Amino acid sequence: MIGETLLLKVSTVTDIAPSLRHVRLVAATGSKLPPAAAGAHIQLTLAGETRTFRNAYSLVSRPGTRDAWEIIVRRVPTSRGGSAFIHEELQVGDTIEASWPGNLFPPVRTARRHLMIAGGIGITPFLSYLAEFAFSGANYALHVCCREEEQNVFAPWIAGQTGVAFHWDADGQRLDIPALLATQPVGTHLYVCGPAAMNDEVIAAAAAAGWPANHVHCEHFGSALSGGEAFRAFLAQSGIEVEVGEDESLLEAIERAGVKAPCLCRGGACGVCMTPLLEGEAEHRDHVLSPAERESGRLIMPCVSRAKSGLLVLDL
Amino acid sequence: MTIAFKPEETFRGDYSYRNSDAAILRFPFPFPEDKYMYSVNIEPHTRSGPSDIFLRPFDVDEHYIAECRDRAITLERDPGRYQALPHMMLAQWDTLELLMENLSADYPALFSLTKEGDDFGSRWTWINRPLGIEQSFIFGDADTLPCEPFEYITRQAQGDFAICDQRDDNLYMDAGMVTAQADWSLEFDVGMSFMEWHGPVPLAHQAGVFERALKYLLMLRLGQPVRRLNWTMSINPRLDTSPETYPEWGPDRASVTPDNAGDKVHLRVELQTLWRLPRSNAILFPIRCYLASLDDLARVPKWGKRLNRVLSTLPPQLVEYKGLTRYLPAALEWLAKHDDGAELPVGTEAGVTTLTPRVSD
Amino acid sequence: MMHSDITSRPTYRALEPDLAGSKHLLVIEGETLLTGRLEALTDTFAPVNDKLHTWLVGAPTASSGPGKVWHLEKLVDVLDLFACATRDYGMGDRLYVQGTEPFLWSVTTAASIIGFGPNQVQLHHAGSLRRRVWCTHCHTLTENVTASIVPCAGCGRHLLVRDHFSRRLGAFMGVMIDAEAPGAIPAIEEAFA
Repeated sequence: MIGETLLLKVSTVTDIAPSLRHVRLVAATGSKLPPAAAGAHIQLTLAGETRTFRNAYSLVSRPGTRDAWEIIVRRVPTSRGGSAFIHEELQVGDTIEASWPGNLFPPVRTARRHLMIAGGIGITPFLSYLAEFAFSGANYALHVCCREEEQNVFAPWIAGQTGVAFHWDADGQRLDIPALLATQPVGTHLYVCGPAAMNDEVIAAAAAAGWPANHVHCEHFGSALSGGEAFRAFLAQSGIEVEVGEDESLLEAIERAGVKAPCLCRGGACGVCMTPLLEGEAEHRDHVLSPAERESGRLIMPCVSRAKSGLLVLDL
Repeated sequence: MTIAFKPEETFRGDYSYRNSDAAILRFPFPFPEDKYMYSVNIEPHTRSGPSDIFLRPFDVDEHYIAECRDRAITLERDPGRYQALPHMMLAQWDTLELLMENLSADYPALFSLTKEGDDFGSRWTWINRPLGIEQSFIFGDADTLPCEPFEYITRQAQGDFAICDQRDDNLYMDAGMVTAQADWSLEFDVGMSFMEWHGPVPLAHQAGVFERALKYLLMLRLGQPVRRLNWTMSINPRLDTSPETYPEWGPDRASVTPDNAGDKVHLRVELQTLWRLPRSNAILFPIRCYLASLDDLARVPKWGKRLNRVLSTLPPQLVEYKGLTRYLPAALEWLAKHDDGAELPVGTEAGVTTLTPRVSD
Repeated sequence: MMHSDITSRPTYRALEPDLAGSKHLLVIEGETLLTGRLEALTDTFAPVNDKLHTWLVGAPTASSGPGKVWHLEKLVDVLDLFACATRDYGMGDRLYVQGTEPFLWSVTTAASIIGFGPNQVQLHHAGSLRRRVWCTHCHTLTENVTASIVPCAGCGRHLLVRDHFSRRLGAFMGVMIDAEAPGAIPAIEEAFA
């Protein structure tokens, strides 16, 4: 069980809702896939016509399964390209390069109870959690906030599971987050995955209810802003200057210039793309650097962070 | 490839453990230079390296049967050498799968694994020919094995194993099978965080070594195991140098003389590998121990000379921590006779393909 | 207080109410209550007084104290109360403990079994420096150890008390001092009075 990347083949593509596409992937060689954990994701390398996209998606297949991996991709209206590619271009039989599974959002296995709050497509990591908890017998509850008509979209993954509640924006149906968090027994771990505003609301409500921060877990993945004002970056080792557009990340601009930069989560969470910053002032948007490291001004996470103004010089 | 096992050799009592010439030549000598420095010497555990012990993820050698028997004796006397906290069951199955898959793929003449499926609930059949075991069981159902899955498979593997749960940006040593350790107690350390269980190690904390190692390990990826070598010394080829049995082996340290050091004093090298486990997201930490006497090592001239230089320049805190204080002078007096002071090339390779005759022959 | 290079050794600090908490529980080992200490704690915990319960363990009856005061006879009563009342504790609860080191870790372990995480618990070491020592050889716990070398209550071996500390056991590691040279026992110091 040693390797970095795998070649996958698309075995089925199913639109499970107007903006949601389910993709089943098998090993292109026909062999077994490595097993993956609850909360795991894979990064796909999607070769578009003009450029290559690298997007990470949570695996919704049962943890440990080795015949196929499954993902659910939402079509983002302002897509950076990856989700549009999957919705418009991807065909059964296509091959895609993928990373081995990574995991930035695992359940805490010492928890006495798991409380999950999902917003829309943010349910995807919890579909694999549910499969694990059903096997282990752990105490859990999942609250899904979605549109009323989306309730049944995920039924194939939650059939037969108790402890799952749906909420939508109508009187009597909204999730009262403060009330929910105020009554949880000691030893509970809280997981939230949804739009940034909802994540922030849940995290703030947990703090207000006295939850210690280390019992609150958020999948930031994909939610970090990648766009902003355009700026320039000079890659000192390569001797290349790149223009970073309004709707792309610094990392994407670096890759477009043909410079290979290490990366993993592309969401400012894993720390793999950490790059020495030689000159310029960064606008840090990652979840990795400590306040002191930010203050020193010597490091940057190019997958999410940008320039405050003008030019950044990177040791790359 | 056939391995000539030595099923009768012992690691206690009459200490009949001996290395064949081939085993000495493949010994993972850990010192590339004449001076030892503590460092984060971590590298990818690919199927390559300066010794052929690195060619397979889990090395099996001529001592396999005897080591498994020695572990069984130690566990019989002290079952506390195996520990697994309740939340580690998923990691236990991960470990069983990793070991069974690798051993059966790398040593098909010795081990075989037949699966009716990959998922929990599938029937698997495991055959271990050297130990004469055939076991059919349900993957994921601990009741179908004679003991917990982690204990079951590590009773059939060389080396110690710890499993670290990852949570709160930290690693916790929440399970282990430890019967051949260099003077640390699993029963005392189980449940400790990374910094806590490394608490007694001198010098490295101040150098920030553990902070950096921890940050690195937290990001360890599935499919990309890493390794490092660690070392200490033991008197006699004894695997169980635990603090638990220190009253039994401690007196041996006072038995070393410049005349018997070549036979009694052993370099103990640990091949430590680190694996991200797939279902539990835990980290498996196998610690594979290789023992060679000074006499064995001096048969590779480069190694005998280098060991003399490393040990004679070791910082006093490390001499104390590694427990060498009482017998180091005698060992150095023996080694000095095998060191002509010639300059040595950097690197750990033996640099020879045949050994010089044994000193005691 | 005590200093060691061994980093498994916990550090302790003065107690102060965590204003983010919703309910607060203060557990005090009675013998560590010096004159005026209860009054000082009452002042310190005044901001959360109406959400605070205090358990005084083995203390002479006090007329008042921080929050609502309960008197418990022994440590084992604290452990029983935690073991029996899981549903009463929530994620906003905070636990504060003052006592000797074995007391602190007995209470912490009982609380962690029902789910209290380390960030919900504050520990203040007061009173005697006496240690609980775990014998590496026979695994017996020897209580009330104040000397640097102590005979094990189980196997009788003379144990050197190392600074290596296990939170799970609430104990320091004891290793036979004269294994390499039987009978050679260095001078014993009264190190943890």
